[in-house]
Amino acid sequence: MVTVGIIANPASGKDIRRLVSYGTVFDNQEKVNIVRRILLGLAAVHVKRVVYMPDYYGIVPRALDGLKSQDKLPLEVVPVDLELTGTQEDSFKAAQIMAECKVGSLITLGGDGTNRLVAKGCGNVPLLPVSTGTNNVFPVMVEGTIAGLAAGKVAGGSSNHPQAVRPSKKLIIYLNGIPVDIALIDAVVIKDVFIGARAIWEVQGLLQGVFTRGEPHNIGMASIAGNLLAIGSKDKAGLALEFGEGGSSVTAPIAPGMIVPVKVKTYEKIKLQQTVKLHHTPCIIALDGERELAIKEDDEVQIELTFAGPSVIDYKAALQ
Amino acid sequence: MEITKEKLLSFYETMLTIRYFEEKAVELFAAGQIPGFVHLYIGEEAVATGACANLTDKDYITSTHRGHGHLIAKGGKLDLMMAELFGKASGYCKGKGGSMHIADVNLGILGANGIVGAGQPIATGAAFACKYKKTDAVSVCFFGDGASNRGTFHESLNMASIFKLPAVYICENNMYGISNNQKNHMNINDISDRAAAYGMPGMTIDGNDVIAVYEAVKEAVKRARKGDGPSLIECKTWRHRGHFEGDPGVYKDPKEQETWVKKDPIIKLEEKLLEHKVVTKEEIAHLQEEAHGKIEAAVEFAKNSKDPSLDELLTDVYAG
Amino acid sequence: MTQMSYVEGLRDGIRIEMKKDSNIYMAGEDVGIFGGCFGQTAGLFQEFGGERIIDTPISETVIVGHAVGAAAAGLRPIVEIMFIDFIGVCMDEILNQAAKMRYMFGGKAKLPMVIRTTCGAGVGAAAQHSQSLEAFLTHIPGIKVVMPATPADAKGLMAAAIRDDNPVVYIEHKGLLGFKGEVPEGEYVVPLGKADIKREGTDVTIVAWSAMVHQALAAAEALAQEGISAEVIDPRTLAPFDKDSVLQSLEKTGKLVIVHEAVKTGGLGGEIAALVADEGFDLLDAPIKRVTAPDCPVPFSSYLEAHYLPSQDKIVKAVKEMF
Repeated sequence: MVTVGIIANPASGKDIRRLVSYGTVFDNQEKVNIVRRILLGLAAVHVKRVVYMPDYYGIVPRALDGLKSQDKLPLEVVPVDLELTGTQEDSFKAAQIMAECKVGSLITLGGDGTNRLVAKGCGNVPLLPVSTGTNNVFPVMVEGTIAGLAAGKVAGGSSNHPQAVRPSKKLIIYLNGIPVDIALIDAVVIKDVFIGARAIWEVQGLLQGVFTRGEPHNIGMASIAGNLLAIGSKDKAGLALEFGEGGSSVTAPIAPGMIVPVKVKTYEKIKLQQTVKLHHTPCIIALDGERELAIKEDDEVQIELTFAGPSVIDYKAALQ
Repeated sequence: MEITKEKLLSFYETMLTIRYFEEKAVELFAAGQIPGFVHLYIGEEAVATGACANLTDKDYITSTHRGHGHLIAKGGKLDLMMAELFGKASGYCKGKGGSMHIADVNLGILGANGIVGAGQPIATGAAFACKYKKTDAVSVCFFGDGASNRGTFHESLNMASIFKLPAVYICENNMYGISNNQKNHMNINDISDRAAAYGMPGMTIDGNDVIAVYEAVKEAVKRARKGDGPSLIECKTWRHRGHFEGDPGVYKDPKEQETWVKKDPIIKLEEKLLEHKVVTKEEIAHLQEEAHGKIEAAVEFAKNSKDPSLDELLTDVYAG
Repeated sequence: MTQMSYVEGLRDGIRIEMKKDSNIYMAGEDVGIFGGCFGQTAGLFQEFGGERIIDTPISETVIVGHAVGAAAAGLRPIVEIMFIDFIGVCMDEILNQAAKMRYMFGGKAKLPMVIRTTCGAGVGAAAQHSQSLEAFLTHIPGIKVVMPATPADAKGLMAAAIRDDNPVVYIEHKGLLGFKGEVPEGEYVVPLGKADIKREGTDVTIVAWSAMVHQALAAAEALAQEGISAEVIDPRTLAPFDKDSVLQSLEKTGKLVIVHEAVKTGGLGGEIAALVADEGFDLLDAPIKRVTAPDCPVPFSSYLEAHYLPSQDKIVKAVKEMF
């Protein structure tokens, strides 16, 4: 039976960047609307079953609830069996369960932060990440209906385009030799001890950065890399840099509406499987825009560039 | 953002002081030594502590029926507070206000409040005064999830927004309005979504993480002081006790209670401080002993104080 | 002395105080360019600017509520509730916040604020724009209530209300706004809590306030034609109430008629009657009479409304029943 997973993060688009920059408040009612359109798209390409991550707000049940009576869906919509914690864990675990029950594709609603968590659990299930977060480099701006059609076709095997699903890069973070976390876009090292309000929006205290992409049209920390070297999402390379005086200065949109000068001491193009050693501890590592890892003074950290990220659906190719 | 050791220790001390004050109130109430209603702040200490750490005596706050924590965090004196709980002449309000009406106008504390949602217009007015007098002071309004359903919320945030007042609205979302889960009383999950309706930034934060609250409120206060207008910060938190002392909280799912008690803000901070070697276990024990001592001294003071004299009945109805 | 209307008098009171103290500002619905629903604030926006004469949204709750916060933080707000009928919308802010804050805080807060509002029937404004609700307010310890009847009192009581360190509700009567009279020039203050004998007399005491003062004076004139000498006392401030003036007058007259435009049941007239029964029973030689509106909403029809209102004729009739 053709099955598609949906992970809609109710917490995306609500962090401190609404306060310190001009981030959009992404209210959950709009996520409900998008999911509704996704479901209609999926039904149109004969998807028979949808599994979704339950959440405290009930994005998917509300989406179903609001459908007009003539739009009754010819598909089964069921939650995955997940004990909610109301934390980041939920997205990760839901992705894991969906991968285990072999969904044909997975649609996410969130930003870079949400997709990083899903990528940790989804194995090789093709992802179609719909942007509803703040710093969105990984997910794409795509109308829900189209996302439903594309992800449905990929899941049902009716999309033959060679570019419909392509691999992506990821960074693997090793703490004292053990892989502890990943990033899809960037890992940024900050002079700090505590995680606090998670998001990053200041250039003060930036020490080091490793990036899977360098594209000047991206928002967030990745824009810094983009202003130094052109590295596309398909290129087998990444970028590593040291922040500080004595090198180049770039002006980068590090958060919505915040375009600031950033000093870069040195930077280099890195190859796949190359590791970058972190040499400032204690510190905080922000992964895809959110402070995640608190590193202690005597810890050793290495960051590796790989092409082992999740498979991503190119919705334009998938529909050709 | 780096936080000094002194600041972190002051967070810990304040949170401990609030916790022990409240635990003492439980004991005294159960022993019949405190009359009336007491609504305890146990579990929510990180919100008041993190928020008020950004304020000076010139800044205003309005509090709620669950107000002890806000008052302590804003510098309220423990002996005068405790004496007020006892209804003694030496109390903050000469024994005429009690737990729900403690104020210290000289410290900018415009009162706890027995009416849910009544602090919002008052805080808005104090913010108006700050702007009118062209000071850089701000006004912080603490209120609960239930109060965000009142008309005062709408009128206040709307007025603050159109007049660009230096106000910070801090919603302590502990999920319950007395016995009702907010799921039954609002069709949204995040109260910060409502900010969009007033054209002001809104964000949601972990209210049990004092550093996160501190950081978020710091940015909102900075914004207010600069004349950039109000903001809404929703802090997700949990009250460990019933709505008031005597309420066994049977309406709460014990599993949910257990999950949240594990997220106790004081334990969370303590773990972080130990992990990062900000303090030693011995220092923690010492701080705990000190905080207990302060509370015991306050109780002694209250118990040794006199009841108000009878002529107090008719004074202070009018000024002058 | 100069000739002024009631509305000019109250506005003159505001203007003089605002010139003296920059902490005074005014906020309310359409008090700015528009100049107030009945022109009460005309010209003030031009004179003091938008920072001090502030148009608010239609949000009675936060109009009064913000004034409580602003007053506690050191300003002296004057806020307008366009019609007293709207007071239900902001009653918590009056009843539980403004009135109680000082007492609840053990005397450690001061709330110098004025709530201006209009009352009164007689203009076909029907049940939601015509009431006299002063008894709602006099029942709340902690606020003061003022109801001027003449242009001079309008000015002098306004100055006193603004200077007072307590929340004062200042109730203007719609029907009196154009009423003209002699008003002292420059600073002029009528102390709160002090009644005024509007006409001296010896046979009967008529206590009336706001628009009813003028009905009582007309009745006294008519009664004089019939040989009855009525004394008309205008308390001007209803809370605190100047009971001594009433008791002193009764020592002379022995008869009391209370006139108010508010409905009878629960009206302030009942309270004054009880007070006199308690403290001046021996002064009375006849039962106390009340002339009030009946216990029904204010009707729209001009014919019904005329019958609804207490009038000179009803007062004359009540007085004559006592002789």
